[in-house]
Amino acid sequence: MSKFRRLEEGGRIDRAQSLNFRFNGSKLKGCAGDTLASALLANNQTVVGRSFKYHRARGIMGAGVEEPNALFTTGRGGKEVPNTIGPALELAEGLDARSQNAWPSPRFDFMGLNKLAAPLFGAGFYYKTFMGPARKSWMFYEPFIRRAAGLGKTGTQGSDQRHDSRNTFADVLIVGSGPAGLAAALGLAGTSVSVTLAEQDFELGGQILSSRDEKLLAWRERSVAALEKFANIRLLTHATVQGIYDGNQAIISVGGNVLESLRARTIIFATGAVERPLVFVGNDIPGVMLASAIRTYANRFATVPNARVVFATNNDSAYDAAFDLAACGIGVMVADERLAIAGDLLSKAASHGVVVFSNTGIAGVKGKLGVEGVALSGPHNITIECDALGMSGGWSPLVHLTSHLGVKPVYGEEIAAFLPGALPPSQFAAGACVGTFGTLAAIADGEAKAKAAVAALSSSARPATVVRPEIAADRSYAITATWPKLKSGLAFVDFQNDVTSKDIHQAHDEGYTNVEHLKRYTTLGMGTDQGKTSNINALAIMAGLRGVDIPKVGTTTFRPPYTPVTVGAIVGRNIGQHVRPTRRSPLHDWHEKNGVTFIEAGLWKRAWYYEWAGKTPQEAYIKEMELVRHNVGLSDVSTLGKIDVHGKDAAEFLNRVYVNGFAKLPVGRARYGVMLNDDGLVLDDGTTSRISDTQFYLTTTTAQAGEVMSWLEFLLQCHWTDMDVHVTSLTDEWGSMALSGPNARKVLELAFPNVDVSNAALPYMAVMDFEFEQVPVRLMRLSFSGELGYEIHCPANFTQSLWEHALKAGEPLGLKPYGLEALASMRIEKGHVAGLELDHRNSLDDLGLGKMASKKKSFVGEVLREREDMMAPERWSLVGLELLEPDKKLRGGAILFAANDEIKGHGCGYITSVTWSTDLQIYIALGLYQGGLAHENEEIVAAFPLKNEQARVRIVSPHFIDRQGTRLNA
Amino acid sequence: MLEALSPIVGHAAHEAEGLALREAPGFTLIQYAGADRALARELGVEPEFGKVEKSEGRSFIRVAPHQVWVLGEQIEVRQCHATPLSSGRSRFALEGEKARALLAACAAIDFSRSALGTGACAMTGIHHTPVLIQCTGPESFHIYVMRSFALSVWETLVDAAQGL
Repeated sequence: MSKFRRLEEGGRIDRAQSLNFRFNGSKLKGCAGDTLASALLANNQTVVGRSFKYHRARGIMGAGVEEPNALFTTGRGGKEVPNTIGPALELAEGLDARSQNAWPSPRFDFMGLNKLAAPLFGAGFYYKTFMGPARKSWMFYEPFIRRAAGLGKTGTQGSDQRHDSRNTFADVLIVGSGPAGLAAALGLAGTSVSVTLAEQDFELGGQILSSRDEKLLAWRERSVAALEKFANIRLLTHATVQGIYDGNQAIISVGGNVLESLRARTIIFATGAVERPLVFVGNDIPGVMLASAIRTYANRFATVPNARVVFATNNDSAYDAAFDLAACGIGVMVADERLAIAGDLLSKAASHGVVVFSNTGIAGVKGKLGVEGVALSGPHNITIECDALGMSGGWSPLVHLTSHLGVKPVYGEEIAAFLPGALPPSQFAAGACVGTFGTLAAIADGEAKAKAAVAALSSSARPATVVRPEIAADRSYAITATWPKLKSGLAFVDFQNDVTSKDIHQAHDEGYTNVEHLKRYTTLGMGTDQGKTSNINALAIMAGLRGVDIPKVGTTTFRPPYTPVTVGAIVGRNIGQHVRPTRRSPLHDWHEKNGVTFIEAGLWKRAWYYEWAGKTPQEAYIKEMELVRHNVGLSDVSTLGKIDVHGKDAAEFLNRVYVNGFAKLPVGRARYGVMLNDDGLVLDDGTTSRISDTQFYLTTTTAQAGEVMSWLEFLLQCHWTDMDVHVTSLTDEWGSMALSGPNARKVLELAFPNVDVSNAALPYMAVMDFEFEQVPVRLMRLSFSGELGYEIHCPANFTQSLWEHALKAGEPLGLKPYGLEALASMRIEKGHVAGLELDHRNSLDDLGLGKMASKKKSFVGEVLREREDMMAPERWSLVGLELLEPDKKLRGGAILFAANDEIKGHGCGYITSVTWSTDLQIYIALGLYQGGLAHENEEIVAAFPLKNEQARVRIVSPHFIDRQGTRLNA
Repeated sequence: MLEALSPIVGHAAHEAEGLALREAPGFTLIQYAGADRALARELGVEPEFGKVEKSEGRSFIRVAPHQVWVLGEQIEVRQCHATPLSSGRSRFALEGEKARALLAACAAIDFSRSALGTGACAMTGIHHTPVLIQCTGPESFHIYVMRSFALSVWETLVDAAQGL
């Protein structure tokens, strides 16, 4: 039997433009201008889903984003988007929508059997029931409960829709385009003030769109047409302001796929109000709707209850709906809880043929899957057959956005609702949002707030006077709030979360009387609608039970987002390769073309190993090590941090920063240095070269480059502001390569035949600058590998050309590139600490570097490094480890235990770095061990519990090769 | 002379309706650091923050207290410190009626003509990396990005352009 139907004429829909869509697989038709909800009603689809907990049939209740029931999953084939709000979704050709929480269909839902057990499913049911019998029972039950409940499922294949983000700015942001919002925009139109008006609907007008007053509708048309012509007005539809943040930043979802961050100098909230339901038994039966929604569907979408509608109300506003429905030829009756009803309303009702029952409420609703009749309470003990029931419990101003910055709403007794609290000086609220419900009053308020915004901007703009629509004067809003007291029966307060009046009573009885506890215990106000229609009724019930006023119960905290936002919209373009930036060395392209495998090192992509040496890292790095140990190799070290330190106090500055002396470092020489944090722990190490009396070239580890740069800037800007020193990062400016191996000097001689690179001219730790083919080159004799080694630095634009030149020059000698794995393995053999040991937890002494600390000068961290705990002999400090069982292997992160200790807990240390030693032909490692080298030559155990591995190792010096430095001084 | 190579080889230009993005290499960028008075004396100009000063064929941009970037031939200085940065930055040229919209899609500052008109510049971030954006005309910009991030930022701009 038909409950709803579409009128032959009227409304804002375009009957000439038919749209095909699917609902639960059925092919249906709607019109352009429809929402999904209005099209469903027009097709007499009144049962649209099932509820969260009881799986009770749910119909469309509202006509906007406040809708708690009509949530749909749209899309198919793994690209489903859940929880789409039916009344807020503009109908489009080919739309595919399905009910949620219903199987096989919303009219017959298998899980609907739940409602038979409804008496058991009171507040706190899950918490009480699924905690036992064992301690971890919840883990067992949870998957089943989540499968049975929940609000739709997201598709696993993502979305085809492109998501985007953008940043915008405006002098004034107006949120909402009802009478107040339009008036505010009209007032500012044509001024020098830039305005963005954001409207969540696909048409501007707000509540005006639900009216059938021709003069008001004409005013809207004129206003919108006028606004569209002004360059200073930006009109956004499908644009929901989801959150307000510090600095008047508004996050706006536009069209569901664009997230706009708008920074406004001032904001005018014209967000309107939502009607709230009444609480009576059976108020969730499909066909029980908000009175204003029935009016909207009739006037805007030409969709009406089939023959008769009853309105239940406690205020005057429901009469607007009653009169408009009567004008559509629908039989209308009004059950008004109030004893005294304004005479003009009764006269108008009589003239429209609307029957009014005063002092009358709703005793119950007849029907299961749809309203068949309404039983009245009070003096008129009758049941009225009808197709729909409209309820109006008054209006709640939408204070969500005004509250996002922590402004608590305040209770307005006159309208029995919460209003925005005291807003910051750059924010204003107008219209129904502040309880100004009359249309003309809202226009006046919007106009006034436009002027206030201009004043707040200190602008010379002169807002225009807004032309008023020629409509009837506003009626005063009269409400008698009669709050529900029901303790039994399924009288719903929160329709989305299946919270009944009885649940609130139960929460109160069990001590959950605080509004925040009430929310969490009952789930009231949660979910996609965030309690837009339920909060005030729940607070009123709790206030009644506690015997206090509603303001004393308070409100829960309003948080963004205002309506559901897809994860896709939040993520925007930051997917795939755009999740984070990738940092590439100047040699990246060459590596790619020459068979490298990259490894990520922070944001950098570094050359890990080369195809020439093997197909796996295990195979390749050993060959690359052998190349360097026995011949010569070239490695990309451009990722090292490089900092230009310039100024007449540069030497003194570095002298304070490093633990060892730099003041007397001669020009043309380099020195290894270690710097501490001010807490005395090691920050970083590196080599710094003196280029001139006033200029140094400082290098850092790759990982700490940014941190060291920030640290140096901090010291100069905050501690030593009188020093003439300037630091500049050159990490991107200079590319660099390490040339290592016994034949390294021979390669240099071939590559730079006009440069003297002899041991005398360029001894160990010397540096020289020269030009090669008009490009500046900095050559430093350093060694990370322990072999004769050099670093060649040049401007990054030329690094690849210079690299290719060096490789070509060294080709006759067998020069080849080697990667990070070999580089890092050789430094372990040599006993150099690196990022894995420099983890901000170790002192100089822990790393065996204590002797570097100067006693002749002060340096950062000098005092705190000598704290008692830092000097304790039992600290974990650096050791070398040799594997004693050749058939086993060592792993980084393995826990170290004394030989006789039980393998349990955190042990006495751990392995930081491990490698196969090509020189020693065994696995070796660096590690931190309690007492360090005091245990030299002891056998201990390295355990790796994740793989249930244990191996015997011997503690040795961390310098595995060439302790005398013969090779690097060659 | 050794060949200079760009970090975005193979991505020389992106053309779309109302938008052209290309690399604009071949510039000389030097940072001068020193006391403000010394900088003014030796450079001959005192650029305001956010504004590009032009003098004798060079562009002067204040990038920090006591630091000025100069685009153009090197200036001999005695009391300031010159640090070449021509290799450390890549320069993109962006033009077209959608140029401001593209920038607004990528960086959280006001790119309207009133806020960033011709001759203005701003230091901000694109794709989590620092950039300097110089407005060279009503609908044209130069974007200076760190060399190591150049390709990543380029790809970000091209991707964002698809959504305009």
